[in-house]
Amino acid sequence: MSGHHSLNIKVLFGVAGYLFVMTALTVAVAYIHIPAPWNIVVAMGIAVAKAAAVLLFFMNLYYDEKFNSLTFIISVLFLLIFVGITMLDTMFRNDVVPTF
Amino acid sequence: MSQTSASAPSSHLAHHFVDSDQQFNSAKLGMWIFLVTELLFFGGLFCAYIIYRAWYPELYVAASVQLDTVMGTINTAVLITSSLTMALSIWAAQHNKQKLIIYNLIATIVLAFIFMVIKYFEYTHKFDLGIYPGEYYTYTGIAHEKANIFFSIYYMMTGLHGIHVVIGIGLIAWLAIKASKGAFNSAYYTPIEIVGLYWHLVDIIWIFLFPLLYLID
Repeated sequence: MSGHHSLNIKVLFGVAGYLFVMTALTVAVAYIHIPAPWNIVVAMGIAVAKAAAVLLFFMNLYYDEKFNSLTFIISVLFLLIFVGITMLDTMFRNDVVPTF
Repeated sequence: MSQTSASAPSSHLAHHFVDSDQQFNSAKLGMWIFLVTELLFFGGLFCAYIIYRAWYPELYVAASVQLDTVMGTINTAVLITSSLTMALSIWAAQHNKQKLIIYNLIATIVLAFIFMVIKYFEYTHKFDLGIYPGEYYTYTGIAHEKANIFFSIYYMMTGLHGIHVVIGIGLIAWLAIKASKGAFNSAYYTPIEIVGLYWHLVDIIWIFLFPLLYLID
């Protein structure tokens, strides 16, 4: 697939509109006060849905060679490994509180 | 830039590429690899955020009240619009609309400045209250001994993001100058595409920073 995808201007405005709606939604949801763990899940779910639209249609991953998508997905994977393994330490300390 | 052909579509083609499509795709892959390092760069701060939020969840709820949701929402809208104008400048290049390339790039720069001005007002308001990062924190309005940690993380995350916005302004200004000299057309717009990728990533980082910092409670 060629990297020179001719952009569709309707798609660009559509994605921007979608991002505005999702921003309004994430602000509205914050005022509803969803109970503790779920407020983060909903907020991050909306953020991921927004980021996906930017990645696919503004950064053209939808039209690109799939290798670019793979590169990005691997970076997210490494980020999860980084955070996950760090938390395996920090969440299971006997003496939790650091000086800072 | 080496040129062996006089024909317009290949005038930007370096000799070690088969054709301009391959050159374009190589440039994009290179940028994606840079964006990977950017993501992991911010990842360190996201990791700090997650660890401290897991340790002190009540601190984040209490301290986040100090952040102005209205300003944060406006800035989110500003960055989304700037991503749109950035994408539109590529669309304009693909359709050889020279003036439209420049207008959209300038609009992107203006929106980036608006973002930084709003950020400036947010920062100075906090400084007036004594909300500084780390040991310089003197605000007494939050009943939590680790209140300074939330704001250290806030300043580091939004500060690093702000530096990226400033660098983006410089890069887009460079594009606008090149565009005013007619450097871009439907056969060659690689620099706009590459800077666009950078700019959209800055937008994505903010998409996550906004709910994580402003919308807790």
